[in-house]
Amino acid sequence: MKELKILLILVIIVLIGYWGIEPYAHSVMYGEIKHPDFEYKDIPKNIPTTGDPAKGKELFIANCASCHGLKNDGINPGMDDNTAIASFKVVPPDLSNIGAIVDEHFLAYFIKNPQDATKNPKFAMPQMAQLSDEDIGNIVAYLKSVAKKNLDGKEITIEACSRCHSIKYQKIQAKTPEDALKEYLGKVPPDLSVIGRAKDVEYLESFINNPQNLLPGTSMPRLGLTKEATEKVVTYLDKIADPHRDQRRTLGIWVIGYLLVMAGLTYAWKKKIWKNVH
Amino acid sequence: MKFMDWLDERLAVRQVIKVMLTEYYVPKNINFLWSFGVLIMLVFAILVVSGIFLLMYYKPDSHLAFDSVNKTIMMDVEYGWLFRHTHAVGASIMFLVLYIHMARGIYYGSFKAPREIVWITGYILFILMSATAFTGYLLPWGQMSYWAAQTITTLFEKIPFIGPDLVVWIRGNYIVEDATLTRFFALHVVFLPLLLIVFTAIHLYAVRIVGSNNEDGVELTKEEKKHGKGIPFWPVFMSKEFFVMSVFLIFFFYLVFYQYKFAMDPINFTPANYLQTPTHIYPEWYFLAFYEVLRGFFFSQNLGLIAFVLSMFIAAFLPWLDTSPIRSGKHRPIYKILFWIFIADFVFLTILGKLPPTGLYAWLGFAGSLVYFAFFLALPILSKIEKKKVAGGR
Repeated sequence: MKELKILLILVIIVLIGYWGIEPYAHSVMYGEIKHPDFEYKDIPKNIPTTGDPAKGKELFIANCASCHGLKNDGINPGMDDNTAIASFKVVPPDLSNIGAIVDEHFLAYFIKNPQDATKNPKFAMPQMAQLSDEDIGNIVAYLKSVAKKNLDGKEITIEACSRCHSIKYQKIQAKTPEDALKEYLGKVPPDLSVIGRAKDVEYLESFINNPQNLLPGTSMPRLGLTKEATEKVVTYLDKIADPHRDQRRTLGIWVIGYLLVMAGLTYAWKKKIWKNVH
Repeated sequence: MKFMDWLDERLAVRQVIKVMLTEYYVPKNINFLWSFGVLIMLVFAILVVSGIFLLMYYKPDSHLAFDSVNKTIMMDVEYGWLFRHTHAVGASIMFLVLYIHMARGIYYGSFKAPREIVWITGYILFILMSATAFTGYLLPWGQMSYWAAQTITTLFEKIPFIGPDLVVWIRGNYIVEDATLTRFFALHVVFLPLLLIVFTAIHLYAVRIVGSNNEDGVELTKEEKKHGKGIPFWPVFMSKEFFVMSVFLIFFFYLVFYQYKFAMDPINFTPANYLQTPTHIYPEWYFLAFYEVLRGFFFSQNLGLIAFVLSMFIAAFLPWLDTSPIRSGKHRPIYKILFWIFIADFVFLTILGKLPPTGLYAWLGFAGSLVYFAFFLALPILSKIEKKKVAGGR
């Protein structure tokens, strides 16, 4: 009984200490993480997101294809990567699947005002003032119509992140070279190989949804990913950062089960030896 | 048994077994807190074994270290993650068992005559273990590794005259860099573990000479222990020890598999970057109390540093601070109160050490530091009072 009391005191002290240095300290240091806003409430919703895809395609070729390709529909960009890097310090994305991973209202407003939509005043794409709201609606309709549905987490991550971020443990190299990125963003964006271990799922979702919420002043743009796309990206990043999670959980059960048996046996042996002691 | 006879003729193994195990007696009136010494040995063994496996794949080079840990060991090597988790959690839990072992010694007066050498060698082991943990923490070359090393080595700058040169000498560079990593590696895997083994041997030898203390702090002769007041180390004491070990290992491996974040800080999964200081820099939990003393003492860097060094070493002088004739805290009502205030204060400082040192937290940290030293300074006074009481009682 006395020994159980001592054990109880130990457990209480350890638990108080653990509470203090883990949950409590973390809540003080990092505060509460804002819930992601997948409706993008601050984005004006008055620009149409539907229209005529055929017209949209014409508008795309006239206004966008000088920089952006669209491989799904056989459209090649008007400039190669090196020219683009020289002018913009970043490779413009191929827009084949953008309509499937980015929220449509975000996309429409982004075409109109990329800097405001991404919350990044230095965002490389110029504002498309020559396009009317109706034109934008047609383009968005076109982008949605050509986009591949059901992309998996890896594909979305490559589409959405890999222009700037490398994931070297997965052999994914950022499309834009590091020195160009440094000029464009002020620093080389972090490699995402083990970001899932450095940050938890909740943080990553909130950060991708709106980087300024968690890291005010960061040059990472808001991407406008839909809820589904964000979750798929985060699930992917989380999985590649901790590939042996299932193995760990299963092995843990076996090891602890084995030790429980050990504890039973050693307790029985102790009882036997100590029977004659008192 | 022929082989035993053969061995006995050459190595006197029967005699050794008698002296070391079957006829080495420990007092009967001890509780499971006396099991923690052997638990420390167990954790040390776990650290050595897991460390050797890590050593097979780890690359002590600032360009390769992070990837060798986080890619090679954590992802590519079969069960490499298990060895890293075990090593990281083992290092953390080492300090938990060390602190409990030391607190038991303080509570029951195990540092008092004739066990001063046991206490001092034990304290040296604690300091060596701290150095081992500190050098090892740099090796994964993550952000917290880097900035903890940067911050702690900067402390030496405050030493008069030689400070700035000393810092460069320790780092092997003006900042923490590849040279720092390789020398910390050498210290962590060879020099410090060797010293740990040497001092463990002396520590255990000293314990074998003076014997274990007990709950009542009453000195027992070998005869008394042989006839009723003691139990032989083998098999009686160890049969209980094995049970304690099993229970401990359940807790330990639960942490390894399911609750390891406290020992593997998420921030350390970001590679070291000397251009980017993390928002919060803090050491591992076991140094937090001392760290809080460092940054909070009279809100002065210089005094903080002096207080920090003092806080780390003052407990080594316990045998001379506490000279009361009564040994065990069990029979010292005032000491008991002081002890629990000290323990509460240590936990309090540990928690504050991780919180930002601003506003109320800074003041609480300062108050906690004062209480920390007050415990040690109160001991000589308490000893005097108790001496008088004992003399009067006669």
